[in-house]
Amino acid sequence: MKKWVPIASGLLAGFVAATISFADFSQSTNTQVASGSTKSNAEKVYVPFGEKDDYYLFASGGHSGQMFIYGVPSMRHIRTVPVFSQDSATGYGFDEHSKKMMGGYTWGDLHHPAFSETKGDYDGKYMFATDVGNSRAAAMDLETFTVKDIINVPNTSGPHCAAFVTENTEYMFLPTRFAVPIGSEYKSLDEYSDQYRGVMSAVTFDQNKEKLNIAYQVALPPWSYDLSDAGKKSSADWAVMTTYNTEEATTNLEINASQADRDYIVLFNWKELEKMVAEGQYDEVTGQKMIFPEKHKGGIYLVPVAKSPHGVDVTPDGKHFIASGKLAPSMTVFSFEKAFEAVKNQDFSGERNGIPILKYESVMEREVNPENALGPLHTQFDDKGMAYTTMFISSEIVKWDPKTGETLDRVPVQYSPGHSVAAEGDTVSPDGKWLIALNKIAKDSYLSVGPSHPESMQLIDISGKMKVIQSSPVNPEPHYAQIIKADKIKTIEVYPKDENNKLATYKQEDAKIVRNGNEVHVYGIAMRSKFIFDAKAKRPDVIEVNQGDKVFIHLTNTDFDEDITHGFAINSYNLNMEVQPGQTNTLEFTADKAGTFPLYCTNFCSALHQEMTGYFLVKPTK
Amino acid sequence: MKAKKLSLVSSILIALAAVLVGLSLFFPWWQMIFFAPQYPEGLNIIVYPNKLEGEIDIVNGLNHYIGMENFSEENFPELSYLSYLVIGLAVITLLTAILRKKSVLYGLIGVFIIGGSLGVWDLTRALRKFGTNLSPTAPIKIDPFVPPLIGHNTVANFVTESILGYGSYFLIAAFILLLIPLWKDRTR
Repeated sequence: MKKWVPIASGLLAGFVAATISFADFSQSTNTQVASGSTKSNAEKVYVPFGEKDDYYLFASGGHSGQMFIYGVPSMRHIRTVPVFSQDSATGYGFDEHSKKMMGGYTWGDLHHPAFSETKGDYDGKYMFATDVGNSRAAAMDLETFTVKDIINVPNTSGPHCAAFVTENTEYMFLPTRFAVPIGSEYKSLDEYSDQYRGVMSAVTFDQNKEKLNIAYQVALPPWSYDLSDAGKKSSADWAVMTTYNTEEATTNLEINASQADRDYIVLFNWKELEKMVAEGQYDEVTGQKMIFPEKHKGGIYLVPVAKSPHGVDVTPDGKHFIASGKLAPSMTVFSFEKAFEAVKNQDFSGERNGIPILKYESVMEREVNPENALGPLHTQFDDKGMAYTTMFISSEIVKWDPKTGETLDRVPVQYSPGHSVAAEGDTVSPDGKWLIALNKIAKDSYLSVGPSHPESMQLIDISGKMKVIQSSPVNPEPHYAQIIKADKIKTIEVYPKDENNKLATYKQEDAKIVRNGNEVHVYGIAMRSKFIFDAKAKRPDVIEVNQGDKVFIHLTNTDFDEDITHGFAINSYNLNMEVQPGQTNTLEFTADKAGTFPLYCTNFCSALHQEMTGYFLVKPTK
Repeated sequence: MKAKKLSLVSSILIALAAVLVGLSLFFPWWQMIFFAPQYPEGLNIIVYPNKLEGEIDIVNGLNHYIGMENFSEENFPELSYLSYLVIGLAVITLLTAILRKKSVLYGLIGVFIIGGSLGVWDLTRALRKFGTNLSPTAPIKIDPFVPPLIGHNTVANFVTESILGYGSYFLIAAFILLLIPLWKDRTR
């Protein structure tokens, strides 16, 4: 036995030395200072350096056309992602890809964001958003937080009643706020009821190609469609949306669209509509497969509801949908099961525009009317299935039990909340913990910046009795938001090399300027801390063209290092873009101005960023 | 005079040393980690007998500010033949185990000592070359420096830490295994 001692000791000596050099002996020094229940409000929202927030908040940017990304619970603004509006900071709307996507528009009105879902839960892959201003829809990739595709939605004007996605992101439905004639053709408003339609689009998203596509459309009656939600679990094949102006008023809607005691919730089975389209039950109009409900029967029903409702939200168990009254001071709980039963038994009270109407009494489960709670707009849910409804007029959040209608808690907010958003609060499994009130009126909250006010987002701890614990100003204007668990989102920090990308230049010696007639293609590199446009030139950081040339600058950032972004701007040419680490981006423009124009890196990149410059020389035509 | 045969146990130890030498091919031999305030996670240059790994491009990008030459596999011709030398060493170690001749073992230990010394000399030479041969046109001028083979060094905002890799420890362990038979089979 003793013979083995030296062998063992020899080996041991080696491995001990290796362990000392390589092993990580640093001990975790994290000790929980205070448990959740004893933390002060400040401790609950404080996230020290080195730690990150538990949740992302994606707040719609409204008429800024952007998406605001915040951390929860710190409520720190992390990033603004341009979606429908130009953003010189990132070059969005300036570089070729985003300029084409924006289709000539310079702004948008981003209303209701929606995450892609798998089995009714956020999967953290994509974010969808709609533009009420210019009738578009966008898909944002959450690996890079950049928009990959934007689609124009024809026959529709203002897809406010969106975006909501079905349980496995099969479809994103875009019902419209404004009714217009098919093709948005000119038609007299006197012909409104006959010639105008509230077209809803069923949009699919191809995750491999990252492309949006319109599968089919439905020519709903010329009403306004306000908000919507997809069914869950047993109601997964169905969706609901609220309507107003079923009066079909064409002027002064404030009064004229508020006359009828009841408007409708549109209840539709998208699987059935999909089947109808597959069977050819549609008309081809303006290049779209259009279902006309009065002609292509089935799959769509109307549920009467107290007038001019705003939100309609499906409970996490998928059994109920709750309409928020807006003008009626109550929430109405409807039963999907009862609705399915009524549909099966053809228990209709009549028809409107060729669509069967279910009987209110046979679908309604209960009306909930918390005392003096006015202007209910929108409902979110917590992990126990309890409902949180924003009260726009009485400026509060009311917590109540959808199963009993009992009011459980109320908290005032400052002021006038439109939507609220709870942690994963519209999925099949909400997290509870946090709710954020998206307030329309921020006065009295922050230092004054004159007549134009920010909006306000208030963080409410809903783990016990509701308590507002933090308030954060936000640019105009979040309409709805989504809160997702941070670990569901897997970002990349550096774009990987793409050897198939013909526009990319990764080797310094490959940088070149190629002239083809009056087109000049620059295959350049941005790196710490210089530009290389033509590796063989006397001055590699100079681009010289003739007046009138069409110039393409394909710029690759070859710093494959986290957070080393380069910018590229040409003085007086009204152009700027960014190239992220590893990314290749293209600027295309006509050199219409002759002269000498310095170019420089706009995104501070290194100690010698200031030296990262060059010249763009345009020879005048004689 | 008949050479004394090494014992079976010694032979096995030497064979084990051959295995360790062979294994070292697949592990890094040496590593330098660069820490800076904005790189708390550290940037690595990891040297294998046949390749460089780690954040070489980023390190090179930063080093160009002080005018240092690029680290690249082309700059280290050793990487193209070192692995063959190591395989050769493993083979002659295995042969020594089979021959079980003390004289051969002495020779092998000699080869280890010479090879090891050459390796240390070569690495020191490379460190000296990179640290002292700085471009005179560099935007940031610093005094030439020679980082140590093992241990810390500070250059501008960077603290470098040089350590041996598993491969080197395998070689050291193999060397120790070769020494044991000398003691075990000593003439009494």
